Amino acid sequence: MNNNQNNHVIHVTNLSKHFGDNEVLKKINFDVDRGDVIAIIGSSGSGKSTLLRCLIDLEQADGGTIMIKDRKLVDEGVQAPQKEKTAIIADMGMVFQHFNLFPNLTVRENLELTPKLRHVGTDEEIEARMEYYLDKVGMSHRADAKPSTLSGGEKQRVAIARALMMQPEILLFDEPTSALDPELTGEVLKVMEQLASEHMTMVVVTHEMGFARQAASKVLFMNDGIILEEGTPDDIFNHPKEERTKAFLSSIDR
Amino acid sequence: MDFHYIITLTVPLLQGTVVTLAIFAITLVISVPLGFLVTLGLNSKNGLIKGFCETYVYILRGTPLLLQILFVYFGLPLIPWIGKYLTFSRFASACIAFVLNYSAYFGEIFRGGLLAIDPGQYEAAKVLGLTRYETMTRVIIPQMIRVCLPSVANETITLLKDTALVTVIGVTEMLHYAKTEVNRDGTPFPFVIAAVLYLIINFFLTWIFKYLEKRYEQ
Ligand SMILES: Nc1ncnc2c1ncn2[C@@H]1O[C@H](COP(=O)(O)OP(=O)(O)OP(=O)(O)O)[C@@H](O)[C@H]1O
Ligand SMILES: [Mg+2]
Repeated sequence: MNNNQNNHVIHVTNLSKHFGDNEVLKKINFDVDRGDVIAIIGSSGSGKSTLLRCLIDLEQADGGTIMIKDRKLVDEGVQAPQKEKTAIIADMGMVFQHFNLFPNLTVRENLELTPKLRHVGTDEEIEARMEYYLDKVGMSHRADAKPSTLSGGEKQRVAIARALMMQPEILLFDEPTSALDPELTGEVLKVMEQLASEHMTMVVVTHEMGFARQAASKVLFMNDGIILEEGTPDDIFNHPKEERTKAFLSSIDR
Repeated sequence: MDFHYIITLTVPLLQGTVVTLAIFAITLVISVPLGFLVTLGLNSKNGLIKGFCETYVYILRGTPLLLQILFVYFGLPLIPWIGKYLTFSRFASACIAFVLNYSAYFGEIFRGGLLAIDPGQYEAAKVLGLTRYETMTRVIIPQMIRVCLPSVANETITLLKDTALVTVIGVTEMLHYAKTEVNRDGTPFPFVIAAVLYLIINFFLTWIFKYLEKRYEQ
């Protein structure tokens, strides 16, 4: 058991979270291994975003333990000191539904901001890294654009490149395509599939069942603050065991 | 009315313009940063600081600027015991009253600008590993400036015009000379010259703010 634990990059036990009297996460347990692509699905309000946000300290869990690699972000409901948390979440990147690019900065400046502040290399090295990741998401030609001039799909691809700049080991996505026009989701999903094929560790909250089926190594179905069912895409999509899972899958457009 | 006469009328007014611009510039340079501190105070988690700043803004915005000017110059020295330490020259009194008043207004403007910023910006900054200070200086304040610029431009133009109020405590700014000349010569023309001078300064102010708005465009 202890031995096994060391292979997990994320190890969550009995995670709980309340907003006032509302118990949003009810003793959640799950693990993520290196190279896993976890898709989290479930109906609105089931706690998917809250779970993801607890992992990167945007919400503070009030019970249970969250281990990121070998360090405890939360230990039996006790938060690590802020400095420690900052160091722990530096191993992760996050992509938001609404992109959250910095509108006062160009695409290039969005990518280079943290690396330059942290002096992760010379300006030339950071520039090269910026070009590498922009190229990866197919946005090199817009390096000097302001975010307001980009389409939603382009913004999200830039946001992914920005999240990669500090070379995190784990990427978290919260409905990365939900704010996009349907015809723009493909270009973002393609980038994500590319990352998955390169064995990037990813946790993706999504309503894109096509992506979950194709790219996920494991699918978690959340319902009312718990992980009701988990398994391979084949398990979940073709042989769901729980009634709620079946109901959810038939309710959405596949 | 010959050209020479216009010049003799204008020269003292230009002298007054220097004083007008001095009050204007001193107020702006001090009250913008002070206004930002007021904003931080208004958002403070410390109830004492927050309450102090709220009261400050309430009083300074809720009473006439003219009263505040009179109070600083005539009122403060009359306070028992400490009055003698609060006695300032006409010019200094004018600047103090303006700085106090405009810091309150700028504080409110910046508070509005801060509210306009998407909470997602703080979240993105946090997960990217920016410190709080870096988040403010690199992300939040530049966006706040953009939001606030139109109101700050308005307030700045109002400030320029408000400087005329200090004639009541005998500061020899532009309008002071215009009034003197009107009384002396029995002609309204000095008022016209004063109006033109205000308009010229405002022309430059408008131009500067247009430039800034362009620069902070997103
Ligand atoms: N900051 C908050 N304060 C209070 N309640 C919150 C907060 N954030 C979320 N909640 C509540 O927690 C519950 C779970 O919300 P969460 O956003 O995690 O759901 P979700 O599964 O991501 O839903 P969706 O698919 O709509 O994004 C909801 O009942 C929501 O109202
Ligand atoms: Mg959500």
